[in-house]
Amino acid sequence: MTLSEIANGKLAPRTGIRLDNISKRYGDHLVIDDVSLNVEPGTVTALIGPSGAGKSTFLRCINLLERPDSGTIQVDHHTIEPGKVINAKDLAALRRTVGMVFQSFNLFPHMSALKNISFPQQKVLGRSKEEADERALQLLERVGLKDKAHQHPGRCSGGQQQRIAIARALALDPSIMLFDEPTSALDPEVGLEVLAVMRELADDGMTMIVVTHEMQFARDVSDTLVVMADCRIIEQGDPRAIMSDPQEDRTRRFLRAVLER
Amino acid sequence: MDAFSAVLQGLPMTIVLTLSAFAIGIVGAVPLAVGLSSPNVVLRLACRLFVDLVRGVPIIVWLFLLKFGIQVGTFKFNPVGAAIVGLGVVSIAYLAEIYRGGLESVPRGQNEAADALGLTRGTTFLRVLVPQAFRIVSPSIATYLTGLLKDSSIASTIIVAEMVFQSQAFARQHPTMEGILPYVLVGILYIVLSLPVAYLSRSLDARMRKAVYA
Ligand SMILES: Nc1ncnc2c1ncn2[C@@H]1O[C@H](COP(=O)(O)OP(=O)(O)OP(=O)(O)O)[C@@H](O)[C@H]1O
Ligand SMILES: [Mg+2]
Repeated sequence: MTLSEIANGKLAPRTGIRLDNISKRYGDHLVIDDVSLNVEPGTVTALIGPSGAGKSTFLRCINLLERPDSGTIQVDHHTIEPGKVINAKDLAALRRTVGMVFQSFNLFPHMSALKNISFPQQKVLGRSKEEADERALQLLERVGLKDKAHQHPGRCSGGQQQRIAIARALALDPSIMLFDEPTSALDPEVGLEVLAVMRELADDGMTMIVVTHEMQFARDVSDTLVVMADCRIIEQGDPRAIMSDPQEDRTRRFLRAVLER
Repeated sequence: MDAFSAVLQGLPMTIVLTLSAFAIGIVGAVPLAVGLSSPNVVLRLACRLFVDLVRGVPIIVWLFLLKFGIQVGTFKFNPVGAAIVGLGVVSIAYLAEIYRGGLESVPRGQNEAADALGLTRGTTFLRVLVPQAFRIVSPSIATYLTGLLKDSSIASTIIVAEMVFQSQAFARQHPTMEGILPYVLVGILYIVLSLPVAYLSRSLDARMRKAVYA
């Protein structure tokens, strides 16, 4: 079985997501300036750009970890207007549809790997403990960490923790996965383990939005490359085309800086 | 009656005062700690005001106020009740501040991960934040408990017959050098009583450390 089949128990219903005119400010400081993005079902979007461009903030607006000041989010027949009152049902539906993986893993340190993956299933989806544990073990096996099931995260390496975190998110059957620099806190070799899992997920047809500095991953795996700078999307399109022939000067400077590292 | 028996007579009351006030504090501090870190400004300021007011006034003043200030109601002829309520409310304020510190020291990413997973705020609080915060604050709670044990002696000033009150009574009846004896004994007794708390705290701390990081 493939990763997302295990995650979903069946083939995932492919869902895209559409963001229109998202803006976000912190006080007087504009961080996201009227950004729109359409992500087709089953595609991978890589989001790159210089530090402070607003990539994380934009990603966090998608599942409302940050509340945009205006704009609309359309996902799975739900239309959410964050500038207005968001009802609890829409918020819960959005969070159930969208899974997220963080740079710093954010596993629950007081729970074993198994419990980290099993506990949210029981609380959010109402699965029985047996069912949730079984699903958790399947996912752990799939990310190559079945032997870590009863270890606490503190006993796992960074790469292992990140794979557990991916399994935790997948266990809730999301149709869209957000990744915010999932390998930036990891040694390059360890990062490869994580990228391999993500690549497999992409091959399974999961809709993904990935903020990353891994240019090779962006080129080989993503369907769309989106470049953010100064609170806006400045360029988007085919990753190879943009990388070989960027249209914007800002993109060119950024790519040169990344590639020269 | 010898000095030791006299002091021991007050032991049960000291224990009752300490444990009752501690129980009130441990439970009552939970909602207050939540209020102290509430996003609602009015609620947060009200809780902050309560905590600072309670902590800003010496316990003895609160006890006198409770004992003599309330002319109607239950405390008029009930010094023990007044002492328990007084020490309990003071404990609520101090422990709430300790809890708040613990909750705030849990990394922000924990809350975000719970939100992203779609856990409810109640589940996040009880199953994610509290277990981590408790491990951080358990030594401070133990320290507070030993402090409270000693502070319970203040109840002697409102005629609660705990250990210090009994020591005073004995000393008054023995205006010789023997009168110093109960104070020496009561001092030793406070130290002895605080030993199990220190021990419990240390073993609890070790166990929690294991539970969180093992
Ligand atoms: N909670 C906050 N309060 C105020 N300003 C913030 C907050 N979070 C982010 N910012 C600001 O918003 C801007 C965009 O930040 P963001 O983290 O989205 O950038 P990024 O593109 O993810 O950068 P990086 O590559 O360094 O992660 C930055 O100027 C940052 O200082
Ligand atoms: Mg970022």
